[in-house]
Amino acid sequence: MTTDRITILVVDDENVPRMLRCLILQKQGYQIVAADSGRKALQLLADGGIDLVLSDQMMPSMTGTELARTIKASRPSMPVILISGVNEIPADASCADRFISKVGGPELLFETISEVLAAYGYTL
Amino acid sequence: MNDHDLANILMVDDQPGKLMSYEAILGTLGENLIKARSAREALDQLLRNDIAVVLMDVSMPEIDGFELAEMMRQHPRFQKTAIIFISAVHLTDVDRIKGYRSGAVDYISVPVIPELLRAKVSVFAELHRKNRQLERLNSELEKRVEERTAQLRENEDLLRERADLLELATEAIIVRDMNGAILYWNSGAEALYGWRREEILGESVHEVLQTRFPAEFSTIQTELHETGQWEGNLTQITRDGHEVIVACRKALKADGNAILEINRDITAQLKTEDALRKTERLAAMGRVAGIIAHEINNPLEAITNTFYLLRDHPSLDDEARYYAKLGEEELLRVAHITRQTLGFYRESRHPVQVSISGLLDEILELQMRRMEFSSIQLEKQYRSIGTVQGFPVELKQVFLNLIGNAAQAMPEGGRLRLHVFESRGRRNRTGAVCISICDTGTGIAPENAKHLFEPFFTTKSTKGTGLGLWISKGIIQKYGGSIRFRTLSRAGRNVTCFQVTLPDVDLQKIKEPAFASMTVPAEDMAGDFDDH
Repeated sequence: MTTDRITILVVDDENVPRMLRCLILQKQGYQIVAADSGRKALQLLADGGIDLVLSDQMMPSMTGTELARTIKASRPSMPVILISGVNEIPADASCADRFISKVGGPELLFETISEVLAAYGYTL
Repeated sequence: MNDHDLANILMVDDQPGKLMSYEAILGTLGENLIKARSAREALDQLLRNDIAVVLMDVSMPEIDGFELAEMMRQHPRFQKTAIIFISAVHLTDVDRIKGYRSGAVDYISVPVIPELLRAKVSVFAELHRKNRQLERLNSELEKRVEERTAQLRENEDLLRERADLLELATEAIIVRDMNGAILYWNSGAEALYGWRREEILGESVHEVLQTRFPAEFSTIQTELHETGQWEGNLTQITRDGHEVIVACRKALKADGNAILEINRDITAQLKTEDALRKTERLAAMGRVAGIIAHEINNPLEAITNTFYLLRDHPSLDDEARYYAKLGEEELLRVAHITRQTLGFYRESRHPVQVSISGLLDEILELQMRRMEFSSIQLEKQYRSIGTVQGFPVELKQVFLNLIGNAAQAMPEGGRLRLHVFESRGRRNRTGAVCISICDTGTGIAPENAKHLFEPFFTTKSTKGTGLGLWISKGIIQKYGGSIRFRTLSRAGRNVTCFQVTLPDVDLQKIKEPAFASMTVPAEDMAGDFDDH
């Protein structure tokens, strides 16, 4: 399975950062679906076809950890990665598969996605 | 009985006629006359009244006057009662009368001369009256003396209690005269200043204590004399040379002859307040850093992604690609700085048991490939597991910093030696875990040595925030430990060793990680050696 068969749901309430994140992932070969809120993300998940959720932490109505918990409650085998610019890793971050820093750069992001997909049995 | 009280005159005669005549004679005296017709009756009357004088017929049937007198004398109450015998005087009688030495005794012969009888009786009555008066005054005096004594004793007790209370006071209470000579020095003062009462009485207080006043001494004196009081903080030196800050309250004694000073040691309190203020500032900084971090990190990520997209973009010519590369590199520096100072951490909330040797092994695993690439030989000597109580992430950061520096000092290869051991203090009471990290790299130049732990000091040209060692030192100092280094030149080779000492630590001091928002997860630094 190559990267272009993997669809990532990118969630972030800020438009430009979300768009840029989508673009770099597309450059890596991933298919992208985008949402600007947790609620929208859950709707898109219900439509099916998502292999991994990549969400921002600090969002107005639903935080990344809240979204992760909601997703895992009904889909325990859906990989969820949280990405954040916040200073402190929240106590409940363990509900997601990974919690990484925005400052880590594209390489950290790609590495993390690969590792998590591998852990869920995807071969790239 | 006062001057006008009547005296009781007891007249004893078995013949009622005689009694009546005595009554007639003595009636004009104005005293109280009591009659008794026999010795028995007389005794009865004696017991019932306070008799001033007993007028006694010697010749009475049954019990005569002398026998009655005998009986009276045997009774303690009547030993001194005046007795006038009425008798036809015989020689034998006179002897007998003279035999009665105790008490007032007199006689009057028969036939009785009224003026004489009156005179004798009134003399004794008056005497009795005066005696009673004296007794009364005496007992009153005694009572007053007793009252006064009791009051004095009470005052004394009160004073002693007050003195004891002054002694209980932990404050230093000092009384001094207008020249500063010490008149009173309580145990609180002994404890605070270290001078014992005996040593310091009479000495000039502010000379001995080397007092530093917050204002001109004359200003203080003026205020003291005008208002009777002064309050302020003084800096003084104790007997063993320690500086103390005391909250001082002075009061001028009412008569203006002495000054009372009550001093409370507030040195510790001020230090605590100072420390609290610093902590608050640090916490505020942490909070600000947290806010800044978030605000900076978001656009930072976006820009980084922009440069990533520009990289190898087909529409860029060489020049544009060059500019994009420059931008990307500078941005890397920004990312580096924010990671270092504003990055986030996954620290445990409470201190836990940390195995230093375990921590070092984790770090070495991450650095393994890089070290192989640089031909760095590893030598491990773990004489002990090195268990400490603390926060694992910040401790790991310290050692990652040091190991990273060591590796960077050996770009052409060398030997990295890690040594973990425990040092036991004297008498096995205090111990410490010691970690030494030695490299055979370029060494530390003497001119750099003293700046090594300063913030923003770095000898690396491109990368390097200069914060690594400063942060590491701060973390270790919080544990009450130390970081020291040594650089030696031996046979053309340099050996540089950094030694970290972590003593058995007081957990109260390390309730939280040193720099709340300044540690970085080791994973984020993988492949990214830290710097000075």
